[in-house]
Amino acid sequence: MAMFVRPVRERAIPEGTQPVVSLKGLTKRFGKVVANDGITLDVYPGRIKALLGENGAGKSTLMSMLAGRYRPDEGVIEVDGNPTKFSSSKDAIAAGIGMVYQHFMLVDSMTVAENVLLGQEGSFFINPKEFETRVGALAKEYGLDIDPAARISDLSMGERQLVEILKLLYRKSRILIFDEPTAVLTPEETNRLFEALWRMTEQGKSIIFISHKLEEVIALADEIAILRRGKIEGELDPNAIESKADLASRMVGREVLLEVDRQPADIGEVVLEVKNLTGLGLVSVDLDVKKGEVVAIVGVAGNGQKALVEAVTGLCKPPVDSVFIMGQPWRKFFAESTWNRSMCYIPEDRLGLATLPNHNLVDNLLLTTRKGFSRGWLLDKKRAEKDTIELIKKFDIRPGRIHALAWQLSGGNLQKAVLARELYREPRLIVAEQPTQGLDVSATEEVWNRLLAARDLAGVLIVTGDINEALQLADRIAVIYRGEILGILDTSDPDTVGKIGPLMAGLVD
Amino acid sequence: MWEFLIPLFAATVQSGTPIIYATLGEMMTEKGGVLNLGVEGILSVAALAAFWTSMMTGSPWLGFLAGGIAGMGMGLIHAFVCITCLGNQVVSGLALTILGLGLTNFLGVPFVGLPAPGFSPFDFPLLSQIPGIGDIFFKHDMLVYVSFIVPIIFWFFFKHTSLGMHVTATGEMPAAASAAGLKPIALRYFAVVCGGFLIGLGGAYLSLAYTHLWTNGLAGGRGWIAVALVIFAFWRPGRAVVGAYLFGGVMAFQLRLQAMGTNLPSSLLLMLPYVLTILVLILSAARGRRIDAPAALGTNIEPEG
Repeated sequence: MAMFVRPVRERAIPEGTQPVVSLKGLTKRFGKVVANDGITLDVYPGRIKALLGENGAGKSTLMSMLAGRYRPDEGVIEVDGNPTKFSSSKDAIAAGIGMVYQHFMLVDSMTVAENVLLGQEGSFFINPKEFETRVGALAKEYGLDIDPAARISDLSMGERQLVEILKLLYRKSRILIFDEPTAVLTPEETNRLFEALWRMTEQGKSIIFISHKLEEVIALADEIAILRRGKIEGELDPNAIESKADLASRMVGREVLLEVDRQPADIGEVVLEVKNLTGLGLVSVDLDVKKGEVVAIVGVAGNGQKALVEAVTGLCKPPVDSVFIMGQPWRKFFAESTWNRSMCYIPEDRLGLATLPNHNLVDNLLLTTRKGFSRGWLLDKKRAEKDTIELIKKFDIRPGRIHALAWQLSGGNLQKAVLARELYREPRLIVAEQPTQGLDVSATEEVWNRLLAARDLAGVLIVTGDINEALQLADRIAVIYRGEILGILDTSDPDTVGKIGPLMAGLVD
Repeated sequence: MWEFLIPLFAATVQSGTPIIYATLGEMMTEKGGVLNLGVEGILSVAALAAFWTSMMTGSPWLGFLAGGIAGMGMGLIHAFVCITCLGNQVVSGLALTILGLGLTNFLGVPFVGLPAPGFSPFDFPLLSQIPGIGDIFFKHDMLVYVSFIVPIIFWFFFKHTSLGMHVTATGEMPAAASAAGLKPIALRYFAVVCGGFLIGLGGAYLSLAYTHLWTNGLAGGRGWIAVALVIFAFWRPGRAVVGAYLFGGVMAFQLRLQAMGTNLPSSLLLMLPYVLTILVLILSAARGRRIDAPAALGTNIEPEG
């Protein structure tokens, strides 16, 4: 499938053009975490601005402020040069700013036309046929190929996205924000979307395109702004990009923020072996993890990390004889697995997959360890409480009450609680996904030290987007790109640092 | 044969009428995304309110209206518990049924056996002259004739008014309605209260037209049948009418069989409508049409953040 080929256009902004929207020094904090830090950005009419950044870089927060969902703590948003304050998304829509969210806001049982006109009918009595002609005309005006009489439930993801775009166009939005719009699309649909976006800019619309996919951003954008750790890392002209590798490393960052003292541990037997795993979006993945070592999977998000983790942890079924855990074939391992001295999984989604938000720490401890606390049919809650208290002390989890509910804990404390629970099981293989994402420095350090200490008993597989984390923790780094492991690099080799960036961008020399 | 069938069909229309009102009321509520299992209780309370008003004022029309208003009041309680307090819709509905039945039994004691002015059958001009059809459909009381129009208004409301579309959107996906600038909370209140009104009209029919006297247990399980019929009808008013007459028919048939003095025990015959309810639910499930249910039915709108 060929990528979208961008028509040639003068990329330089004509002299004297006024930005349609200016963000000036926008800052947004959530508690102690600074999600956006003094962001200044101009958006010009008829142009596509890409906002490139890793997960958690602050892209969505920034756009939510622009779309009126969050209010900035500092800074102003100027529309046509006038400072404005949005108190709701309605205000933003009225100012001509519309957003297509990752999760579509569409009523499945209604038609395309009804969804587009919902809330904008214009009269009390309505005529479905007239709706369809109105929306059909709008779609035609922008060259969008969609049947206005079709039901949403019958549409593909790409077509549903067109409906969202039509909604914005009908509301006369001048600035259209797309939050990771290609995540749910097939390559053909992506191309069609890009063509549609291009046509809209020719009609004077401005587009903000949020993505972490380098190729797409280079193919589509007039300007690229890189967002990293809540700050604008730089703005550049796609024509001036020397290499994708350069862009990747600017997006991910390379400066060392935190170091841990990693002493080599005794290497033992193989605890995880992945042999020629193809399928689930993965292409002949070979990987092994031995007791006493940490192996990191590094890559731009969405390149197959999730499938690999799910195959190893039993969330989805890999092909026969491709995954071996503690020497046993996948199927046999999961049929016979015990609650302790086995495998444990520390998911990225701490408050959904890892814990029950509305349950206390004791219940959350029991989630994966209940077999260790059962006496016949009964659960020994007293002992579980006692052990929870000990774990809270040992891991310094705050607030230090066993009856605190999971959702009440901060990200760092919740992650410590998950770690405490999983290490309680004395695992032989640990699979940790983005173990320090969103955590502050001290919590990050704590998690790193715990994972390193666990090497006495276990082999550790971590999946991370943070290269520094990989370099600090791992003995070996496997770079994944489009479901393929492009290289496994030894971190003791000083050249490794320089090789990661190009591999992440899919460049093999 | 016809001497037996035509009166049976006429009785069918009569016993189906309160079910039409109740089913459409429940359907309205569910279209907005709220499940109301209090239909049985609302029917009884409304029946008593209608009876009392008619007896006091001497006007059956005021009684009819009072039934509707009592239904709205009961709907408002349910709406407040489920929409504002985010209470469990099933529990609130069941509580409403128990409350309604208990309240009517208690407050209705002094009126048992007393008559009130109600609606009497009359021949609808011209239409009643049609052979067969006229005898079946057009020799009833006013409330039956009203029940012919209500489903059409119901259909038109959801198909051809923006408010109907907004209610549908709220029942399907409140987040989408909210993103489109609508107010899902207010729309749900509207659906539940309007639904309560329609159910209340069904209750009024029971005490003002079906009988003209007060007795206990007037609702007689019709509320539960209405809840089942909404599923049977796949949330479409036309099918609700068909379903209501189907049940009305079984009820009327069962009464007739008893009057004819069959050997079948009467409790077995009384069971018929409910056996049919279970059959209907099994059939609807077998056809897999649960997908026609409003997608957000039974789930509360959690406040954002």
